[in-house]
Order: sequence, then structure tokens, then C-alpha cells
Amino acid sequence: MASHVTERDVRRIAEYTRIGLTDDELPQMTEDLNNIIESLKPITEYDLEGVEPPFHPIGDLSNVMRDDVEGTSFTQEEALANAPAVQDGSFLIPSILGGGDA
Amino acid sequence: MKTMEEVLRDWEAVIGLEIHCELTELETKMFCGCKLEFGAAPNTHTCPVCLGLPGALPVPNKAAIESIVLAGLATNCDIEKHTLFYRKGYMYPDMAKNFQTTQGPKAFAMRGWLDLDVDGKGAQERLDVRDLEVGARVQSATRTETGYTTHIGITRIHMEEDAGKMIHIGGGEGRIDGATHSLVDYNRAGTPLMELVTEPDLRTPEEARLFMQKLRQVYLSLGISDCSLEEGSMRADGNISLRRRGETELGTRTEMKNINSFKALHDALAYEICRQAEVLEGGGVVVQETRHWDPGAKHTITMRTKETADDYRMFPDPDLAPYDLSDEFIEGVRAKLPELPDQKAARFQRTWGLSAYDARHVIEHRDTAGFFEVAMAQAGADAETLAKPIANLIINDLAARRSADESFDLATCPFTPARAVELAGLRASDAISSKQEKEVLEAVFAEDKDPAVVVEERDMKQVSDAGAIEAVVDAVLAANPDKVAEYRGGKTGLLGFFVGQCMKEMAGQGNPKLINQLLAEKLSV
Amino acid sequence: MVGFDFKDLSAEAIRFGLAAKDFSARELAEAALERVASVDEQVNAFLQVTPDAALAAAEAVDAAVASGNLDTLGPLAGVPVAFKDNMNLLGTRTTCGSRMLETYKSAYTATCVQRILDAGGLPMGKLNMDEFAFGSSTETSAFGTTKNPWDLERVPGGSSGGSAAAVASGMVPITLGSDTGGSIRQPASFCGVVGVKPTYGLVSRYGVVAFGSSLDQVGPFARTVRDAALALNALVGHDPLDCTSQPCATDFTANLDEGVEGMRIGVVPEFMTAQGLEPEVGEAVLGAIEKLAALGAEIVEIELPNAAAAMSAYYVIGPCEAFSNLSRFDSVRYGYRDPGHADLGSQYEASRSAGFGPEARRRIMLGSYLLSAGVYDTYYYPAQQVRTLITDDYRMAFGECDCILAPTSPRTAFKFGEISDPTTMHLSDIFTISINIAGNGGMSMPLGLGSDSGLPVSAQLICPWFKDENMLRVAAALEREYGTAPIAPAFTDAVASCDTQSVSFGEASRNEVRHSFPDESAASTAETLADFGGPASLSGMEGE
Repeated sequence: MASHVTERDVRRIAEYTRIGLTDDELPQMTEDLNNIIESLKPITEYDLEGVEPPFHPIGDLSNVMRDDVEGTSFTQEEALANAPAVQDGSFLIPSILGGGDA
Repeated sequence: MKTMEEVLRDWEAVIGLEIHCELTELETKMFCGCKLEFGAAPNTHTCPVCLGLPGALPVPNKAAIESIVLAGLATNCDIEKHTLFYRKGYMYPDMAKNFQTTQGPKAFAMRGWLDLDVDGKGAQERLDVRDLEVGARVQSATRTETGYTTHIGITRIHMEEDAGKMIHIGGGEGRIDGATHSLVDYNRAGTPLMELVTEPDLRTPEEARLFMQKLRQVYLSLGISDCSLEEGSMRADGNISLRRRGETELGTRTEMKNINSFKALHDALAYEICRQAEVLEGGGVVVQETRHWDPGAKHTITMRTKETADDYRMFPDPDLAPYDLSDEFIEGVRAKLPELPDQKAARFQRTWGLSAYDARHVIEHRDTAGFFEVAMAQAGADAETLAKPIANLIINDLAARRSADESFDLATCPFTPARAVELAGLRASDAISSKQEKEVLEAVFAEDKDPAVVVEERDMKQVSDAGAIEAVVDAVLAANPDKVAEYRGGKTGLLGFFVGQCMKEMAGQGNPKLINQLLAEKLSV
Repeated sequence: MVGFDFKDLSAEAIRFGLAAKDFSARELAEAALERVASVDEQVNAFLQVTPDAALAAAEAVDAAVASGNLDTLGPLAGVPVAFKDNMNLLGTRTTCGSRMLETYKSAYTATCVQRILDAGGLPMGKLNMDEFAFGSSTETSAFGTTKNPWDLERVPGGSSGGSAAAVASGMVPITLGSDTGGSIRQPASFCGVVGVKPTYGLVSRYGVVAFGSSLDQVGPFARTVRDAALALNALVGHDPLDCTSQPCATDFTANLDEGVEGMRIGVVPEFMTAQGLEPEVGEAVLGAIEKLAALGAEIVEIELPNAAAAMSAYYVIGPCEAFSNLSRFDSVRYGYRDPGHADLGSQYEASRSAGFGPEARRRIMLGSYLLSAGVYDTYYYPAQQVRTLITDDYRMAFGECDCILAPTSPRTAFKFGEISDPTTMHLSDIFTISINIAGNGGMSMPLGLGSDSGLPVSAQLICPWFKDENMLRVAAALEREYGTAPIAPAFTDAVASCDTQSVSFGEASRNEVRHSFPDESAASTAETLADFGGPASLSGMEGE
């Protein structure tokens, strides 16, 4: 099996996507990702010279916009209804740079 | 550390700006119908879309697209018809979807420019230009009578959305560093935001400051934003590097983000020029990094940020349709272009004979330009005569008041265009002296009275009656025969003494021009 | 005890019954609730039942009936409907089958759900699914597996497994599902019901938790083609909240009785010889082709030369969009927050690690990798170019035919845990994925029971963009041949509170024809199991 990503790469991807991955999980995830990426090979073997991507299944869609008219907004209570933690009408989160209290 | 002038003798600064501007004049956000309002209670202008709730989808605000096309046309950009919105991924709590919807390689507006007129003290920063002959060029700058003009390229203006706001708790002065918790408010999240990127064509902090100021004038004239630096609706990132004079390769640059005043922009760049020069001259290397300008301490410091990858995983946003702007759409927007600041200045020159310098400074603020136009209309037949004096009042006196008092509001202050016409008229007819003019102006502001009333009450009309002045002149000369002799012996510096004596006799109300003229005549006999 | 057999009622029969005052909407809601209570213990299709919302909606319908305003009611008046749990309904939990959203309460209602409510549907609850729709068996749900009503040891398919099983077990006549690579059609096939994935853009995606934004489409499950068409009538139409939604004024019931005479039905020879296509499925599909030919349709062979690339294009585009769509689950505004973290970074990582199951984590990481600098041009960009080729293939093909007939799934429902080899698992979607890539409409139509397994087998019908009425018309013709899809036998008589004696209407909706495979002749498909051309392996990845 070709190696597309190393364990170090996968560690970096995990950090980027903010998905905690234990050292035990790392080899299996690396193997899984390599297997999947290997299976995508056909996409790299097509002659696609001059083919424009549509980026959308319905190709002729364009310029979809709305008028600048006010709609309904949430109340503060509604906005915060699912928040894991709240303070002063805002979403409360722990220290961004670290060093806060749990 | 060397002064900037010392540094700039050996080094050239290369500066680029990224200027963000919220479209505050719109009713609603970029991708949802939430109202745009500064200062509302936290999270009360939110909905599934701008909170990034599962399942919500964006729909672009047509007025925002019109606004950015308008901004592009006003800054000489090409309008790209075929563009896409992209998703720019980064996980940060102020970005509700953890990606920012922005534009990819193609922006709505590309390849524009603005010309800057630099004069006064600021022009002195450009050492390579200041000693040139008028009309001579270096790089994209051309020496003029009062300074120089320079051509600044605009790479692009793209459409995106602003992030929410965070308050950091537990750190010093609300800083993120040392904070134990943060609060997130998404009212601002999704505010339509234009980002303009310049070419690295700016060479001095003054040019950077003037570019931002001119862009602000343009945006204000378009009516698309309040461009409030205080409220953060307009803010700049500045990047700067140094290279030895004569070099063409770029040095390593540092970046300063979210600068929210013209002075801070100038001072931060000026500080960085000096700091980088010190590093380089000491044999060190400039580290590519983001630095924070601390206006209190007047220096920049390395900004401690959470490591974020530069790789934003950009890809076209599948929830948004591509743009294929029609000529009709673009021309429809073009038809809405108002008179731009440069056009207005040209018109002021043409119509009322202002100098380029005066015209530029009169239109520097929207309110002063309007003030001037109203005054000209009220001046009627005297407009051309009074144009220059009124321009001087605006450029000198009003500008001084504005810079002395942040809350100065021309629209509500006692000095109206009508009073400006009256005051300038009194002065132009020599009814008052220039010194008296200042006094009257002070009184108008302090007492909210018409200039004529002030002059009347203080009995401060200038005496321009030649006979009356001649009598005083004769009396002064007669009283100082020895001084007259000295003057005639070559000590011509004594003229000031005679003028002073005459003025004293006339309680300051004598027409100094006439006094001078008569003294010169009589003393030369 | 109500005097009607609720489980046999079609939406159409419900309307007649309401008009004739055979029953009230309240009785319907109560019957559906009883039915769910007695059946779902075995099937586990529902993650949440919403009696209050159902009874409140029923009250409104009954009030309209009482005031003689039945005609003002929508086409689904009094019809119990349930929704895949990735669809927001204000006040209900919307979990997407994930721990991440276990306690998440919808703050708004999805357009598709609202349109069902506006049409008079009674909201019965939310249905199980693979986590965030990542899967083909509903086994990746964080809240247990859903059983296939035809054989409780087998999977219902996925990711809309709960939606298919709820209809197949007669708990509700109509459910909604979503389909990103086959997530409506494959479970419909496994459970022997009608499942429609409309043309992309026909049904608003607003309020449906996104997996692959350019691939996702919402559609109905039903036991009759007419019920599916009625649901579609309610669902379609432009939604200003979804930029990709399109206007539509079609009445999808209008041509159901027209038959197929003169229609051109496209058949893709490569599909009939694809690797992994089970003989009993191939036989059934060939049988359907013969029936359609006998009914006067013209059968034309068509080519989809780039169909083989669809699978790998899908496994690039899907994870990339999913990675981006799922980045919003960050424990800040909603969703699972791992407790006790002093800094945001560790809270992010712990919450997303514990909140997402293994399949979701894999997809997110894969998508992130595929979009990273340098890699983007190797996979994502070509995948989009391939999308153009596949779309062009279909456009060309539909120059020669009005509807394509193909297998839905290469096999019938498998047992829990039976497929541990992901290569076989991914083949579940081999015939459905390219339709999502191209955006066309597709549906799964039951063809009776497999000659070998005795489990439901199906044909897939594929239509040109926004010609979904074409495939429904063919489906209606097949339905007349094969009979209405039955409730799974284990659940036909097992309901305590329904009186099966007193059905006085709607005979058409009952099981007139026992399902059996009508033609034993088409047995030659197994001899050439040529490689259909999908990627050699898609290990670790399950289709949907």
C-alpha cells in the first residue's frame, strides 16, 4: 500500500481539524487514510485537459441574491438556548491562548 | 534608535495595506436578514445563518454586491464578471461556521488605482522626491509645486463577511493574553466586509496614512459605509519591509493588524521602519510576524497568537451560486456613481478658482466640502472673490478646531456658511484686519453671534480712511525724529516699529496695508 | 380501538377517509402513535416521537374538517409523517445520529419540514440515521441500529435507514430522508419501499444539516408512487433561503396513469454486468425492462462512459464538503462540550473527538487533507472536472431516452456486521453515486422479492434534470405490474390496537398483489462480472 500520509502528517491534520487523536489511534487512522487516498487514484489518471469544473451539479445557476430587507432575528435567549455555557448574554468559552481555570 | 529621517536616507520602506471596510449603510448582513446595528445587546442580531446553526444556508445581499462594484468603479478597478465565493477555513470562536465566506483568486474588483497628492510636512518624508525639480519623477512619484503626487496600485477589492466580537476576561485591559475566559457576541458576525489590498507601492507612513484617508473619502462619498475608525467599521492592516536604497528585491516584512486610526497607522509604520533598520543594521534578520501597535507605549510588540496554520483549505462554497454579472448590472451600478472627491476638487478649482492645494484640503472632509458649497451659493456674485478666504477659514481655522476637539461637529457649530461669507466679506473689504478676523471667529464660536454683530459690539472696525491714517502716520513720524533719521540712514528694519506705533495709536484698528504704504512713502522722501 | 386499519392507509386514502368522516385526524395521530409504540420497539426507527406536535397538528386539521373547509387543507392533511433526524423542526431534538448533537434542540424549522406541515402533515417524530449521514446501513448511528422490518437481523440500509424502516413497517405512510450518494434510494431498496431523490435544487436544503452541500437532496419515502408524488408536490418549489433551490410548478401526480407507451427507457449495459451485482437483482431489473417493453416502452441502450470515475470523484467531493460543513461543531454555540477544559484548544479537541464517531472523524480528516495546499490540485480540482464529464454523459444519454432504468443496489439487505470488508460495503452505492454527482433525479422502485434471498429487490429510475415526473410515471407503471409495496410481513398483523376487519375504502392502497418475482428467465447476468470500474478499494469508507 502506497503511503500518501505519514503518522506525522496525520497528527498535523488532526491538529488542524481539532480532532483529538491518541497515540494509540494514530497508526490505524494513518492506515485508514492511506487506504482511502489510494482508492482515489482513478481521479488522478483521467485526461482532463481543458475540462472546466462546474463546482455545482446544476451548471446554469448564477447571481442568486436577496434584497437588502430585514428579516426575523433571534432574541438573546433563543440565540443562547443551546449554548454549553453563557455569561452576560454571550457565549462563554475558556481561555483562547490557554492558562485559564477549568 | 535612529530617527525615521535618518533611516530613510539609507533605506527605502516598502509598504502595502489591506483595508477592511464594513458596509454599515446597508440594512442587513451579508448572508442573512439580520439588522446591521452597532452597539446592540449581545447576540440579539443573530439568526440560524450568522450563528452557524446546523442546516442554515447563506443567501448573498444584493445591495452588498452593488456596493462593492460601486467601490471598484470608484477606485478605477476592473469589475470581474465571473467570480465565486470561497470558504476559507479556520477554527476560531468568533467565526460561527469556522470558515469565512470570502472570494477566491478572482475578486469582484481588481487592478485599480488611486493617485495621492502629498504636501506639507508629510511630503518631507519622501527623501528621494523632495529635492527633485517640479515635474521630475522617481518611481511612480512626480514632484509638484506643493509636494508630489504618487500612483498607488490596488490589487483587488473582495467581498467577505466580518467575524463576531470577543471580550476577554481576566487578562490585563481586556487583552487575550492572560485571559481566563472569553465572551463571544455574534451581532457583528456576517456584516458585509470589503477588503481592499494595495500593491506594495507605498513608500512612507504619510503615504499610507493619506491612502487610507483618501479611500475613506471615496467610500464616504459613495454612501456605502460610515467608515468609522472608532467603531471599527474601517480598519487597516499594514505590512512593511525595508530594503537598501537602490535595491529592487523585497525584504522580509512584518504585519500590523487592525489599526484603527490614521495617526496610529502612520506612527506604527514609522516605528517599524526604525525598529527594522536597527535590527538590520545590527546584523540581525527581521522575523516575518504579526506585531501589535501599542499607541500608549508608542511601540510595536510581537503578537502572541494561537498557532494557526496558513493553509486555509479554500474551496468554492457549494451553497452559493457563481456570479456572472451582466453589463446591465454593472452599468446600473455605474449610473449610481456620485461625484468622487477628485472630481469635486477639480470642480472647485474650475468653478471658483481655488488652487489645487486649497481644493484638495477643502474636500478632505465631506462636511467641509458641503460647507464650502453652501457658502459659495450664498456668496452669490462675490463667490469667486470670497472662495480663497473661505477656503482658508476651512483649511486653517476649522481644521485646527477639528484636530483640537474630536467631538467638533461642523454641522451644529455656530459657525455657519452664511457667517463664513459675512466674515470673509468683512475681511475682504478691509473692514477688519486679519488679526481682528481671528478675534471675530473666536467670538462667533463663543457667543453664537453673527460676525457683523461682533464687530459692531466690540467697535472693532478697521480704519481704512486714508486721511485718518495719514494724520496718525504724520504724528508718529513727528514724535520720533531720531528714529526717522536712523531709518533714512539705512536702518530700514525700523519700519516695524513705526507700524507698531501707528497701530497703537489707532487701538489696533488701522488698516496695516495702508499704514505700511503711507509710512514707506513718507519715509522715502 | 379505532375502526380502521391505520397501517394500510395511504395518504390518498387518508384524505378520502377524512372527507367521508370515517375517522378524524386526531384518531389518525393516535393510531400512528399506538402503531409506533407497538412496532418500534423491534424496529428502532424513531429517535424521538413527538405526540404533542402531532396532536396539535391533527387538531388544526379536524377544525378545518369540522368547519367544512377540507378543501383548504393541503394534500397531506392528516397524514402522519416522520423526518430523518438531520431535519430541523423547531423545539425537537435534531441529533443527526451523533453524540455531538445528542441534546441539540432545533431553534428553527427546515423548509422541507415546514412544507409538509403546511400541507397538513402530522409530525410524528424524528428518525434514525447513520451519524451525519455517513454510512449505508444506519449502523454508525450513536443511538443504536435500526432493524430491517423484512428481517430484523438485517440492516435497513442507510443513511436514511430509519426513514425506510418506518414506512416498511407501516408506522407512518410517508417519511422524509436525504440522499448524498444513495441514502434514500439504497435503504428504500433494502426495505422494499418507494424512495425518491429528486433533482438537485427541487427541494430546499435549508434546515437540513449539511453533509455534502452540492450532493445532498431531500426526498420522500412511501409505499405507493402516488403518495411519494403527493409528498413531492408539497416539498418542491423555490425557497428564497436556499440559493440552489429552483422553482417548480409540476404536479407529480398528473401523469401517473399515463403508462409508458412511447417512452424511451435507457439501459446501461455496463451496469447490468457490474462487479458485485447479485444475480437475483440483475434478474429482477431485466424482468422490469421486459415488462416495460411489453407495455410499449422503447428500450434503448445508452452509454455513460465516465460513470466509473463517479465513485472516486464522490469520495473526494463528499469528504471535502463534509469537512467544511462539520467544522461548525466546535462546542462553542451548541453541541457536545467536553467538561473541565481550561483552554479552548483542548476543549475543541476533546469535544470533537468524543462527539464525532469514527466514520465522521475519518471523513473530516480526509476532507481536510484533500483540500490542503498542494493536494487540492491533485484530487479536488480533477474531481470537479470529472463532475463535468459525468454531467455531460447524462445529458448526452438523456438525448436518447426519457428515463434510465438500472439497479438501485447491487444486492439485497445484508446482516448486521455481515460486511466488514469496506470494499463490498461501498459497492452498495455503486449505482446511485453518479446521479448525485450529476444532480439528476433518481428513485428506487420495489420489484418484489429476490428469487434467492426472498428480500426486497428494486430498480432505480433516473431522470433528466427537473423531469422527475418522467421517473414517477415509469414507477407508477411498474407499480401496476408488481403491486403496491407491502408492509413487511412480520408487521402485517402484529398490531394490537388496529381493527383489520373494517377497512371500508381505499382498496387500491391495500396489498392486492403479493410480491413475487414474475420472471425466472433472466439468469445470465452473473456470467460476466466485469469490473464496473469503481476504485479498487475504498477501505475504511462507507458509502451513503
